[in-house]
This record gives sequence, C-alpha cells and structure tokens, in this order.
Amino acid sequence: MTTTAPPQGSVPAPAGDPPAGAAPRRRRRNSLTASDARFGRGIVTPSAIVLVLLLLAPTVLTVVYSFYDVPASGDGLGEFAGIGNYEVVFGSPVFWKSLQVTLIFTVGFVVLSTLIGLAVALLLNQEFRGRGLARSLLVLPWATPWLVIGILWKWYADGSVGGLNGILMRLHIIGDYVEFLSDPTWAMVIAVLSAAWRQSCFAAILFLAGLQTLPKIQHEAAAIDGAGVWKRFRHVTIPWLRPVLTTVTVLNIIYAFLQFDVIYALTQGGPGDATQVLSILIYRQLFVVTNIGTGSALAVILGAIALAGGLLTVRLLYGKREAS
Amino acid sequence: MRTNPMGRRSFLRLAGGAGLAAALGPVLSACSSGDDTSDSPWNGELQFVGWDFQPDTIKRLVKAWSDANGTPVNVQTIPNVGYSAALQTRLRGGDTIDVFYNFAYNTQKFIDQKWAVELNGLPDVDTMVNEMFPSARERHVNADGKIISAPYFSAVYMNQYNKAYVERAGFTAPPASLAETYQQAKKIKADGICDTPYVAYWIKEFCEEYLNVYLLAQGVTPFDEKGEPVFADDPKAEEAFAWWQSMYTEGLAPKSLLNDDPGKLSGELAQGRAAFFVLHHYFLTSVRDLKGPQSANIEQAPVVNGQTLQIGEVLQLGSKSAQAKEKAWQLMKHYGWKDTEGKFSVFTEWAKAGGLAAPYPAFFTDPATTAAFPDYYDLSKLSQTFESGSNVVPARTLPWYPDFQAKVGDLVHAMLLGQAEPKATVAALADAARKAKAGGGL
Repeated sequence: MTTTAPPQGSVPAPAGDPPAGAAPRRRRRNSLTASDARFGRGIVTPSAIVLVLLLLAPTVLTVVYSFYDVPASGDGLGEFAGIGNYEVVFGSPVFWKSLQVTLIFTVGFVVLSTLIGLAVALLLNQEFRGRGLARSLLVLPWATPWLVIGILWKWYADGSVGGLNGILMRLHIIGDYVEFLSDPTWAMVIAVLSAAWRQSCFAAILFLAGLQTLPKIQHEAAAIDGAGVWKRFRHVTIPWLRPVLTTVTVLNIIYAFLQFDVIYALTQGGPGDATQVLSILIYRQLFVVTNIGTGSALAVILGAIALAGGLLTVRLLYGKREAS
Repeated sequence: MRTNPMGRRSFLRLAGGAGLAAALGPVLSACSSGDDTSDSPWNGELQFVGWDFQPDTIKRLVKAWSDANGTPVNVQTIPNVGYSAALQTRLRGGDTIDVFYNFAYNTQKFIDQKWAVELNGLPDVDTMVNEMFPSARERHVNADGKIISAPYFSAVYMNQYNKAYVERAGFTAPPASLAETYQQAKKIKADGICDTPYVAYWIKEFCEEYLNVYLLAQGVTPFDEKGEPVFADDPKAEEAFAWWQSMYTEGLAPKSLLNDDPGKLSGELAQGRAAFFVLHHYFLTSVRDLKGPQSANIEQAPVVNGQTLQIGEVLQLGSKSAQAKEKAWQLMKHYGWKDTEGKFSVFTEWAKAGGLAAPYPAFFTDPATTAAFPDYYDLSKLSQTFESGSNVVPARTLPWYPDFQAKVGDLVHAMLLGQAEPKATVAALADAARKAKAGGGL
C-alpha cells in the first residue's frame, strides 16, 4: 500500500476543515492503528489470560459461592442461600471484633510503613559513604517472604530469649522481660511493627525512585528564596512525591487488609482474638472448618472494604488535586 | 481492506466474559458431577500423606511395606500446623489420597464429605477393632457401628513432673487432683524452687484438648452421646475453668504459654524452670532426651486420680478404585495394626522413635514393646491409663466438632487473659458447641 506524504511544513487546519492530504493520512493512521492494535493485543493477551484465570475467575467464583451453602467436598454449589451467609457474617460479634482488629492493624501498618519508608528514602537520598550498600540492604527485608518475616519476629519478640527484650533491657526501657506475644496490646504492636518493617522497605524503594527524579534546582531555588529545610520538604519534596505517595499508600492499604502470613506466623490471631484480622477469619472459615459459603461472603466483604479503602485514598490524595 | 481494530472496551468485555466462563465452567460441571467413588482407573502407585513428625521414619516404614509388597507408594509430608487446611484443600481440589493421617476430630466429617471411606467389610477389620482397648474403640467406630478410621498412634495425657522439686517442697507424691496441683505449684513457687511451676500447651489450636482434659479431671462429662454440651450443666465445669484461670493469672504458669510450642515447654522442664508439664505421655521422651540439668528427675504420673483424655490420631482410607483400596487397606493394617507376621512392627518403631503408643492391650505386653520403650516409662501404669483411666470423648469425632474445635481457643484465651469470667466462658463454650452442631455462626 502506498500513501501520500503530507506536504512539509503544512499548517494544521482548524477543526472541521480537513487539510489537504487528510484522507490518505487517515488511511495510514487507520492502517497504523490496526497494526498497533494487533501488536497491543498480542502483548496484552497472555497477561489478560493469566489475569482472567488467576484473578477474575476466582473472584467471580467467590462471589457466586457467597450466595450458596457450598459443601466442603467441592461437589456442586449446594443449596442457594441468598444473602444468608452475609446475614451470618454481619450478625456475628466475631466479625465485628475482627473488623475492628483489621482496621486498627491497617491504620498502624499504613502510617508506620509509609512514614518509615519516606524517612529511609530521604536518608538514602543524601550523599554519604556506604550509601550504595545501604540501598542494597534495603531490598533484603522486601525480598524476604512474609511468612519468614513472621517467624523471624516471633523469635525476636520471644519473652524468654528474644533479641527485642535484650535490647530494651540494655537501654533500660524495660526492667524485666516482657511476654509481648501473650499480651493482647503488645501482640498487635509487634504484628504491626513486623509487617511494617518489611513493607517500609518497599515504600522506601518507591520513594527513593521518586526523589531521584526531583530536580536539584527546585530545592536550590527554594533555598535562595529563604525556605528552610522543613519548608523545602513540605512545599517542594512532598508535592513532587505526591503521585508516589498515592501509589505507596494505596498499596500499603491493600497489603494491610490482605495481611495474613506475618500475623498467622506470629500469633495465629491470638492471644484470644486480639490479632484476628479478617484474613485469618477467612482462612479459618474456608480452609479449617470449610464453611465455604460463609468464608466466601467474608472474602467478598474484605475485598469490598480493601477496594473502598484504596479508592478513597486515591481520591483524598490525588483526586482533588487532579480535579482542581 | 479496512481493518476494524478491537477497541479497549471490546477487549475488556471479552476478557470479562472469558472470566465469567472460566469461573462458571467448574461450577456448572461441579453441579452436574455425580458420585465419583466408582471404580476409577488406578496407576498402580499409592498416595500416602502425613504430617511431618519424623518424616524419615515415615518414609522408612512405608518403604519397608512397599518393598515387601511390590506396590510403590508416594509418601508426602505436610507441616503439622496447618495440616488440616492443606489436606482438605487438596481433597477438595480433587486429589485422591489413598492413605492419610488425620486428626480424630476430623474423621466423621471426612467420611461425610466422601474424602474417606468406611472400613466395614474389609478383611480383618473387625478383628482389628476388637483387639483395641474398649476406651479407644469409640474413636474409630461411630455410634452407628461404622468403622471410620484405623489408629496411627495413641497417647494419654499425663503429668510429667519433677520428683526432686516436689519432694523439696515437702510433698511425698505428685498431685492427685487439680486442687493438689494448684497447692503444690503454689508451694514450689513460694519456696523459690522455680518461678512458674506449671506448663501446658495452651496455644489456640490446642485449647480444645485441654478443655476436655480439665473437665475430665474434675469428673465432668463433656458431651453426652448425642453430642450435647452437658458440661455446661455441671457446676464442677466452672471450677475447672476457675482453676485454669488461677494457674495463669496467679503466675503459676508462664505468661508465654499462649504462644509457646511443646519443644520450648519440654526445655522448661529439662532446665528446671518448671515442675509440672501436662501433655501427651510421650513428651517424657522429649524432656529426657534434652539431657538438661533436671531431665533425669522427671517422672510421669496421671494428671489426676480419675479420668484423663485419651487422644489418638488416625489413618483414613481415601482410595477411589477397588484395586487401590485393597492395597491401601493392606498398608493401613500394616501401619495401624500389625504386619503380616502378627507383630506390631510399625508401632514398635514409633515407640523407639518417640514413645508413641498403640491402642491395643497386646501392644503393652509385647516384649518388643517393652524393649522399645526406655526404662523410665512405667508401661503398666500407661496401659492401665489406656484401659480404665482415660476417655476419648466420643463427640470429638462428630462431623460438627471441627467447627467447635476452632472456636475454643479464642474463648479460653479470653478467660485466661481475664477478659471473661469462668461462668461466662462455660456458657460461651456451650453456646459455641450448640451453634457448631446447628451449622451456623463464625
């Protein structure tokens, strides 16, 4: 196929007034569009298949299950339960307590991992000896599986031989060893700390990437204008990092709501129900007592909460600014 | 020729449709699937799944049978914590496992879900059942006479105690009741012999076993033959709970018990940081093997003078084809009863490896058993506890029981932490049992 090239230096025609040579150009664009689309489909299709099979299909299946009294054996859907499973969930004090625990964990996890991540990124963005090594070490916790983090922290927080007690004793912060994981409040604190410890490294990597794109000239100009460190941070760094901050916060919220491994390895949701987040309740319903319908209803509710949390954050941190 | 490229919306719509189809496909096929326990083809290899207690021993024992019978067996082990969840997920996903370990409280549920089959009518099964202690039989045979499992091992709750500490505190014998346990622990602590004299495996998953241990110790019947939680009607149940709470809140037991694993607890006893350790009898082996400064002083006594809990984990048969079933049953008989020469060869190996027992009176009088158990075990006392001093609590095998089992830990921990009174906890546990029985609640 041959196309007519547009004349060099031609001035774009006003809207509604097709320029000379417009028809052949549209033909070429159509041809390019078709080619691009084919290429795009080729690129996207494998990922789409994986997403459909591993994400969309189970999601749909979970929603379907939540309306049935599904037998544990996996034979069929069982009896249609309508909203019966949701009534069981919302009517149970266990759910409300677990939701409360989940929200407390989420707030602690998101705030801590975001702030620590930002602080670490700011530190590693400075010039100092060993910065390369420090940046490499940052990847280590993030590369460690959640379950291993939970086991490590279980040892670390142990009331008899744990390193945490040893450090706090040496610093004279505590007078005697504390059984962190047997105390409801401390167990939650340790759960938040251990999960945030890993996630803050991930946040720091993203923040650091954002900081490295910040032109130095902006800080220099602000300094010339008399802005101090805090003002430069607040009015130059933070606005520059806002897209990264949004991404990090949304990811942290999703990770918080879906957190299972660390808490399960640390406390199995205990002592009592002190750290029994919704994901542990879902695990217990789906995989231990195999109440598939009720467990699925819980999973749908948790998914909806995580989605709402994520969307709300995007709107709060980004939406208004975009709109303005 | 003009191409009509697929737009983003069309593509996403198509993907969504594919997702729905992918999700509903299995659902629809599941709806139409019938009973698949008919004679399915078998590839000649048995599938065996167990939890990871001494996996090398498991493999060795199964291999010995496999070599002798010419039937290959694929042995897989799964960590003990989370075993039920992993096993159920595999079975629900359609895996056929010919022989598998199971917790006794899951057995009837597995039969009801067709993940395991009843053993009635299989060669020698009635003899196997008749040779068991009558107390153990109720674990393997349900109220309708259906044989639902074979033994993997059995154990009774015993009190592993430090004889030297008890004597130093001025007592001539180990405690014979919960009240005496409290008194002795209090005295041992007051005398400065050790700070937290009592240890037990009180993590959430295990609280249900202790619930039955302490109820039986107080002479309370936990459940009636219909599975009703009759313990709630007995005032002594509240006393048992009050005792439990006192031991924890008064510092006679370490605060860390809510998270401690049995390995650590054995160490507490071996190192002399505890005087009493109530758990399965074979933990005496763990404590002695640690060779701590107090290991040699550790003896074994009944939890109380009365009934205690007899536990026993089981083997279940999951074969789908007749051929596999025949071979799998041969393996089960070998592993959970006797070999072809009539010897308890597998049980003897487990006794040597970890002090595990079998629920057969003949096992305790077998010279091979006597040789297998270290001499610090009093086998006649152990046998007597199996015979008349222990109860399997038959309700523990009912299909709703796993639901109840999963709820006990939260309620007991709340009581231990002082968030609930013993009376309220008794009521809450009874309520949890009734809800589980009725099939509702979280």
